[in-house]
Amino acid sequence: MSDQHDRSGPPSNAAADDSRRTFLKVGVGALGAGLAAVVVAPALRYALWPLAEGVEVTSGGEEFVVVGDRGQFGKQPIKVDIYADRIDAWNRVENVKIGSAWVVEVDGELHAFSTVCPHLGCAVDWSADIGKFKCPCHRSAFAVDGTPEEGPAPRSLDALDIEPREDGLIAIRYERFKQGVEDKVKV
Amino acid sequence: MAGIIDWIDERTGIRALLGHALDEPVPGGARVRYVFGSVLTFLFVQQVVLGVLLASYYSPSATDAWASTAYIQDRVAGGWFLRGLHHHGSSAMVVVTVLHLVQVVLAGAYRKPREFNWWTGLLMGGLVLAFALTGYLLPWDQKGYWATQVATGIMGTVPLGEPMQHAIQGGDQYGNLTITRFYALHVFVLPITLALLLGVHLYLFRRHGVTPPASLSDEQLAKKSQPFWPNQLFIDVAAMAVTGAILVWLTYRTHGAELFAPADPASNFVARPEWYFLFLFQLLKYFEGPLSIIATVLIPGAVATFLFALPFVDRAQTRAVKKRGPVLGGVGLIMVGVVVLTALAIVEDANNEEYQEGLVAAEHDAERTRELALVGVPPAGGIAVWQNDPQYAAMALFKEQCGTCHQIDGRGGEEAPRLSHFNDRAWLRGAVREPQSAAYFGGTKLHRDMEPYSVEDLPDDKLDAVVEYLIMLREQGSESPDSSGYDSALAKRGEALWADELDCSGCHSIEKGADGDGAPVFWGRGTRAWIARVIRDSSQIDLYGKEAEMPKFAGKLSDEQIEALADYVYTRGWPAE
Repeated sequence: MSDQHDRSGPPSNAAADDSRRTFLKVGVGALGAGLAAVVVAPALRYALWPLAEGVEVTSGGEEFVVVGDRGQFGKQPIKVDIYADRIDAWNRVENVKIGSAWVVEVDGELHAFSTVCPHLGCAVDWSADIGKFKCPCHRSAFAVDGTPEEGPAPRSLDALDIEPREDGLIAIRYERFKQGVEDKVKV
Repeated sequence: MAGIIDWIDERTGIRALLGHALDEPVPGGARVRYVFGSVLTFLFVQQVVLGVLLASYYSPSATDAWASTAYIQDRVAGGWFLRGLHHHGSSAMVVVTVLHLVQVVLAGAYRKPREFNWWTGLLMGGLVLAFALTGYLLPWDQKGYWATQVATGIMGTVPLGEPMQHAIQGGDQYGNLTITRFYALHVFVLPITLALLLGVHLYLFRRHGVTPPASLSDEQLAKKSQPFWPNQLFIDVAAMAVTGAILVWLTYRTHGAELFAPADPASNFVARPEWYFLFLFQLLKYFEGPLSIIATVLIPGAVATFLFALPFVDRAQTRAVKKRGPVLGGVGLIMVGVVVLTALAIVEDANNEEYQEGLVAAEHDAERTRELALVGVPPAGGIAVWQNDPQYAAMALFKEQCGTCHQIDGRGGEEAPRLSHFNDRAWLRGAVREPQSAAYFGGTKLHRDMEPYSVEDLPDDKLDAVVEYLIMLREQGSESPDSSGYDSALAKRGEALWADELDCSGCHSIEKGADGDGAPVFWGRGTRAWIARVIRDSSQIDLYGKEAEMPKFAGKLSDEQIEALADYVYTRGWPAE
């Protein structure tokens, strides 16, 4: 490429010189774009990998987990912590807290509600004096059976699957659901 | 489009800015020899982009660093490629920095008025090496850990170096603070410093322009002048493309960067620095004890001082190469020294069997740990990945369930036979000669039943034949008999002795399915299946019968656990024979 002999001499060469310059300019653009693509293309795949099909970055909550004895639950909601083995990206952790649930008996039937508020994900509390679940963030309130009564929450508290065991133990499957929408959709 | 640019230009003056940046005449015309600075700038920008990408998955802590790097390398799509580009990119930066330096020295571009270009350039060269050193530790693998130990160790040996070493590694040992500090240096301090110096360097470069060939007169230079855009920039970008292509090729060829097993402070890893530090590594070998300061401080310091002082050392009247013999000779000597030392280090390692063996072992560990990491690394950190190994679980189980009575590898109780090498010839010979020793059945009730065989009654050569026969019986009773495991002629002799001469058969049967009446039947004794049966219930009639004292583990342990234990004991049953 080094230009040892003079090309910018007589005016008759001006056209050739112009096209040469255009070639150089296009070349710079093309090579530059190619160089950028070498990194950008794999970078996109890399950065968006957690969204790719079949990729599971975090796990835990697929199984039913024993949370207590049937006898200990009654008309007053009780908060239970859910422990499970969990994969978190590169870590595999045994028996860690992955969330919690309110367990309550309503009309003789046992319910478990995720403590995650269906509005924007704050943790709801049981307010014993007014007999309601209350979200500490945006004033949503829910009846003891999970029905929304006040505030911006778009749906009931999310009921979790319960599995009674033969020996009187209660197991719960802790799942997470999409926030801020009317329908209960698993995430 | 033009309308939008007009709109922006009116408010920002972007056209003037771009024009100012690009419309620079290059006296004497565009040349290939001017590309190195541009290529370095490109590499730096690429390293920054790749570094940011890596940081989006990497976790700088002693417990997470290796696991997250293995995650990038072996799990995340394209992770190995981007990490490989970053790794080889650092080598490329070192190479192009040296080329840039050589070009500047040849052109005499360090001379007045460009002294500050030269000095900022040298500082940036030092930063490139600091980048390499700090980045090397971040994966927290064996290689990075041990090589960096050497580097910080050197720091600790120089005068006043110890406080500096402790400040850099965050205490007197390697740990979380070492990695957070190296990370902060590598991703914040060094890049910001380099960017600032690069700004000064480029400003000064624009102020003084390129250093054209000394052979051309001012008139010739003006006549041959070409604009930077597009003439020089095209050559620059072409050189960047060549560099980029080499990097991609290297990355594919090596499947990215190496990642060894997680840093293990208890191991004896064969530590080597990255190739561009090998000359320093080699230099260290020649200076022992108190003299080592010559290699660590004096020689590198003298070289650095010489380079920094180059504008003053050079008293020549012109930039012409011929007039600057001594200066060029000095720089050439340094280069030759570096090349020779590097070559010596490589040749020495190639001929060093111990090093080569260590490397093979290290690569084996690397492969194994990365395989184990695929299911997730326990939160205790890198080396905890070994806990994913089924052998590890079996070891833990053995310690818990069997170790109170049985010994393996020198640890455990003496109530029951030692199980190290229990399948090999030496063990079997010993069991015949001294069954009452604590190593065999001394701690059990069984020793009352079996009489030792003395050398008088059973000479060594006959014992060897019997032992070979027992090994043949084990092989024949295993799932996949392997006749290469024993000497069949010797075993035949043992068989004859067994049948005609010895008293063993008074208690021990040898046939498959025989009722041993409380003395172990030797058909298949010592196979995995046999060990598993002993673990399940050693009081079976063809094992130890009613004399058995060992607890029954059937029902207590799962089948998988028993199989794993049997496998562990079996693999420990072999000698170093």
